[in-house]
Formats: sequence, structure tokens, C-alpha cells
Amino acid sequence: MLALIKREIRDHIVYFIAAAICSAIFIAMGLETVHEYNPRNPPVFPIGIGISLAAIVTAGICAMGATQMYFDKTRRVSALLSTRPVSRSMILLARIIAGLLAILTLLAPIAVATTILLRLFTPPIPMYSGLVWEIFTATFLLAFACYCIGLQTGWNTNALTPTLGALGLTCIFVPLILIKGPGLQIVVILQLFITASLVRTWNKFLSTPL
Amino acid sequence: MDENVIKIENLAKYFDGRCVLDGINLKVPQGCIYGLLGRNGAGKTTIIRILLGLEPATRGQTFLLDTESASLSPKVRGRIGCVAEGHNLIQNYKVSRLIKLCKDLSLQWNDEFFRLLIDTFNLPTDRRVRELSMGMRAQLNLALAMAIDPELLILDDPTLGLDTVARRQFLKLAIGLIQQKDRTILFCSHILSDVERIADRVGILAAGKLVVDCPLEELKERVKKLRVIFPESAPQNLYLTEMINQETQGREMVITVANWNRQKQAILETFKPSSCTEVPMSLEDIFIECTRPDSNSTES
Repeated sequence: MLALIKREIRDHIVYFIAAAICSAIFIAMGLETVHEYNPRNPPVFPIGIGISLAAIVTAGICAMGATQMYFDKTRRVSALLSTRPVSRSMILLARIIAGLLAILTLLAPIAVATTILLRLFTPPIPMYSGLVWEIFTATFLLAFACYCIGLQTGWNTNALTPTLGALGLTCIFVPLILIKGPGLQIVVILQLFITASLVRTWNKFLSTPL
Repeated sequence: MDENVIKIENLAKYFDGRCVLDGINLKVPQGCIYGLLGRNGAGKTTIIRILLGLEPATRGQTFLLDTESASLSPKVRGRIGCVAEGHNLIQNYKVSRLIKLCKDLSLQWNDEFFRLLIDTFNLPTDRRVRELSMGMRAQLNLALAMAIDPELLILDDPTLGLDTVARRQFLKLAIGLIQQKDRTILFCSHILSDVERIADRVGILAAGKLVVDCPLEELKERVKKLRVIFPESAPQNLYLTEMINQETQGREMVITVANWNRQKQAILETFKPSSCTEVPMSLEDIFIECTRPDSNSTES
């Protein structure tokens, strides 16, 4: 199993490097915001960049899932691996673990840095103590949902249906998170979506001829 | 444990409504080298893919080492060496990396034997797989399949792309492997001289059916090709059971018949031929006769 995970990471190392770079950019932006924060003139520019970066990151995570599956299909990686002492479930599980690790490479340093910054500097407005954890959880689940969409898109011969589905769901989820905030409902909705998406990918991957 | 390492029961496979395999039954006992023959598109690769669990069967069941193909566990897969048609290796990997991956995934790895194979085939390990020639890829694939010390070796056209010397080396290795360890080999090949050299049992697929499944020597004994000359023009109503082919030209009739016996000879003699001579047949001749589109070959 470890060999499979290592293979996935090494084959898609570019996404891990990109995740680390994005994470560093977000942390640098956070540090700069804290350093130059003026309550009379709140910064607008970094928020704009932040939103753009978030969009790029979401697309990147989706692309990672799609690339993993697409290259598996075109290079017939699973066809080779399936003739070794591994099952298809193990191949897919290793792939998903690699995806989760890429997401954590991106989000974990940001979450740690944010927690440290909030401890070092008193926020201008009082904050709910579990807010960082809730934001981290919701963002993690959203990123994972995007990754699952990527997995489905990459494995399907017809990529149009899952892509349109993904766009539709993003249009629902993003406003929902913006309006309602990263609460329990969002977590539950995202978990349901991820479960459905994973079951579908699992089923497709296990039943398709290699 | 069942003595049959490979078992196929009433296997049928359809692709888009087209029947590729139609009720195949096959048993390969332990220690047997089974050569599966058939023309292009006869379904040899499909059988192997179904056996390995890479393709679902439309109907029927297949078993490898007492386990149903659809549910082969990693432990069972670890006892099976496989060389797929077209030598599907991860093209963008360096050879050394691919070897390491296969080694890490294997349950057992005979490094000494693998090094011997790599040296014998003179394979460069510092190049990418896509930079290797077809023959080199075939050799690498064979080495990877054999390094795990497999109990069962499934080879789909393993000598495809190999030059004559490498092909001989491979056959020698395959024979050595089977003789030393009493292992089973199922292999498909278009090079019938290879099959003739190493197989002790052959199966011939034609029109989705396994028309021949018997030991090689028995097949050669059972299928006879006869050149019959009649005093006048050859009779139109000559019919023998299990007749595979019949060609008539003036006074001469060439018939290929399975299970030639005295009874059939007596029937032939009632037509009073002036001469009847046996035409020697190689495996290639038998294969051509059995797989001709107008062949009447029946399962033997």
C-alpha cells in the first residue's frame, strides 16, 4: 500500500509543490495583513487576490483528481498494477490518500499559521474560538469535494456530464458557504456529497474493464 | 486443492452484442504448458483478460488457483506472473523505477534470477520505458513476470517483438522454469513453432469456440490429412464424420479429418479410390485447417 501511495505522490509531485507554494503565499498574505492592518483603512487588495487564489486552488485540486484518473486510463497504469499483488480498491484508495495529502499540504500549514497569528495578535473584532477549526474543516471538505469531482471527470469517457454537474454544484455550494458560513450544515452537506461522489467513483473504477 | 490451476466454465463474452467467446470450457492442470492458439480477434486476449479479472465475463465462470477471477485477492495475484499483450508498462517511467515499483509491490522477489534475466537480455535500466525498443519492452516484461517466482505464468504473445535469439532464450527460460519448479504456463502465441517447441497441451480457438483442446502429440495423431485419387472424377457425396476440410479438384480430393479410424477408412474405401496417401501435418498445418472460415472442425 505504501508503495502505491509513494507512486501516486511521486507521479503527481507537481501538485504537492504547487500546494506548498500556494500555502506559503496564503501565509505570507496573512502575515502582511496582520503587519499592516489599520482599522481605519481595512485592506481590500489582498482579499481580491485571496479570492483569485482560492479559485485557482479549487481548480488545481480538481485538476489533480482528473489528472490522476486520466493518466491512469491513458497510460494503462491500473492495467499493469492489477497484474501485481494489489487490488483495484487498493489502487484507488492509494490515489485518494495522495489527494488528501495534497489538500493537507495546502491547508494544514495555513490552519497552523492562522492559529498562531490569532494567538500572537488580538483580532480587531472578537472571534468565536472554534472559528478557525470550522473554517479549516469546511475548506478541507470543499477541497476534497472538488478532488472527488476531478476523479470522476478524469475516469469518465464523457467528461462533459460530470464537469457540468461539478459547475452546478459549485454554484450551489459556494453561495451557501458564503451566506451561511462554515457551520455544521455545510459540513453535513459536503460530507453527503463526498460520500455519493466517492461511491460513484469507486463503483465505476471497480467495474470498468482495464 | 483442485489439481487444475486454470478452470474455465461455460465462458461467454459479448462486445456490443457481438459474440467473441461462446461457451468455452477449459481446464489446465498443474505443471502443464498450455498453448492457446487462434487467429487475430479469436478471443485469446479476452480469455486472458477475463482470467486475470481485468474484464468481466458476460456469462460463465473462470478460476485461477482455485479463486474466482473476479475476486482474486492480492495474495493470489502474488502467485501469478503475467505478461500482457502489447507489453503495457508505464511508458514515462525509467526502467529502474519500474523495477523498484514492481519489486515493492511483489510478495516475493527473486533478485538473483531477475539480475540474471536482465543481464541475459542485456537491458539498460537507466533509460525510460518509452525509449526501449518493442523487443526490449517484451524482455523487461518477461523478466518482471518471472522475477516473482510465479506458480502460474500467463503470457499473452510473450515473444511478440523479440528477435530469434531472444525468443530462443525466452523459450529456454520458460522450459527451465517449468522443469525446475513444476509450475504452470498458459500462453498465447502466433508463432506456432514456439508453441510446438514448449507446449504439452494446445487449445485452438475459432469462431468463439474452443475447437481443439488436447495434448499436442494426441492432436497430431488424431488429425489426418489425406490425398485421395479416384479413377474418375472425385465423388460429390463422400462424407465422413468429423471432417474438418475437403477440397476437390478433378480426380483428386484432399480431406482433413479428425479422429481417423478404421471405420472411416472403410467408408472411404467403398468409393474405391485408386490411391490414398497421408500428407504429413505440422501444428501450423493443423492450425490453418482448424481455423479456416469454411472449416467444419468440432470440439475434440
